[in-house]
Amino acid sequence: MVEQKFVGYKCRSCGRVMNPKHDRCLSCKGRDFDEVELPKVGKLVTYTKLYALPQGIEMPPLTLGIVDFGVVRVLGQLATDEPRIGMSLRPVWGKIRRLNDKDIYGFRFEPVS
Amino acid sequence: MRDVAIIGAGMTKFGRSPGDLMDILAEASLRAIEHANVGKEEFDALYVSNMMAGETAHQTAVASSLADRIALVPAAADRVENGPASGGSALKNAFLAVASGCYDLVLVTGGEKMTTADTDIITDLVATMTHPTAEYIHGVTLPAMGGMLTRLYMERYGLTERHLAMVAVKNHANGLKNPYAHIQRACTIEGAMSSGVIADPLRLYYVCPISDGAASLVLCPLDKAKKYTDKPVRIAGVGQATDVQALQEREDPTVLKSVKIAAQKAFKMAGVTPDDIDVAELHDAFEILEIAESEDIGFFEKGKGHLAVEKGVTALDGELPINPSGGLKARGHPVGATGVAQAVELFWQLRGEAGERQVKEPKRALSCNFGGFGNNTVIHIFERGW
Repeated sequence: MVEQKFVGYKCRSCGRVMNPKHDRCLSCKGRDFDEVELPKVGKLVTYTKLYALPQGIEMPPLTLGIVDFGVVRVLGQLATDEPRIGMSLRPVWGKIRRLNDKDIYGFRFEPVS
Repeated sequence: MRDVAIIGAGMTKFGRSPGDLMDILAEASLRAIEHANVGKEEFDALYVSNMMAGETAHQTAVASSLADRIALVPAAADRVENGPASGGSALKNAFLAVASGCYDLVLVTGGEKMTTADTDIITDLVATMTHPTAEYIHGVTLPAMGGMLTRLYMERYGLTERHLAMVAVKNHANGLKNPYAHIQRACTIEGAMSSGVIADPLRLYYVCPISDGAASLVLCPLDKAKKYTDKPVRIAGVGQATDVQALQEREDPTVLKSVKIAAQKAFKMAGVTPDDIDVAELHDAFEILEIAESEDIGFFEKGKGHLAVEKGVTALDGELPINPSGGLKARGHPVGATGVAQAVELFWQLRGEAGERQVKEPKRALSCNFGGFGNNTVIHIFERGW
């Protein structure tokens, strides 16, 4: 799986950056977007340690969190057992789970040491 | 628009039903039809709310099947799916159909059969409501969303785990007085706070169970309602709103904007304010939601809902009883049935027919049926129609 860039989608009409991608801008309904790279470091807004695991995740707990990158917030798995609100995290590309017998790739977030 | 009334209601006992989905849909429907005193009159339409029959019962087009089973043919029949707010949406559709003058006698039945499937399959089916690429593929489940919202509340508003336990204790106590409730067992603060962790900080007792069940209502124009009952319940206001799907994309993730807007619309239609509501059924799939909804509907200031719980305001004998039925926590949450069951409870409460859990002489009531993780909410306001 080719590593993807950690990006947002910037509306050409009003400049709002979104992630995930929408077909029309949530602010101005514009339809054209440019891919823009997101900041390399974000801050943890909230998290949960999930013990009732979904399929394709092997070891509890699965730590999930929302990370604020300034222009957008992004949700993902956290590669730490000791999450703290406000901690700095960076996106890392890799396999995140198996789903319907397929490997799923995406960004997870690891602490910036 | 014509005034619309509910003239009859019925439901099955929630929990683990011996029958299949069609059995419980039929049972609740026939109870409502009998209770509405409509005899053998022909219905114009039925709306059946159901979220996952295709996946759990391997049956589709359940509304047409129900029309056949209970001899409503040739009535118009539609299945309505809006996740866990399917029931609210079905009731809204029925209301609009009667209000518009298109239909005179309409049945609304919601039902779900969930206990036959494994818990992880149900959890996964429910999780498919989340954003496919921004949430679901990362392993997000609905309890995970509830856990993240709860932590935000704790950070921002000073809510503690004890407040979640208080909501659970209250709803379990109410459920104990409701013969239709799935969970009929009292719980204690200490018991709730030592139950297993599902999605930290959410424990088992702060999460609704997986239930079977069906609930049903009969609607007609208010000016024809007196023919069937002395105590019709008028649907005074309806509001529905969506929000962006991913929790992280919301301007303030602690604000349930769809609840706020749906409530404003319903209050406007009814010409009343939150102060005019005497009893409410809120969507406590997770106990944090009862608190957050109570604020965004406008009953309490944002960030202060947990203080109302602490003071007993929302208890059965409080100023504004919330979830006298036991809520989703104790009555149970057969997803397609919940929105209809909320209305059934409030119909009984307004008519003074709620038995041991009867709230003192309520005149006006509100239900909040919360779909997705708050991205599609339906709110109804009911009042005495006599």
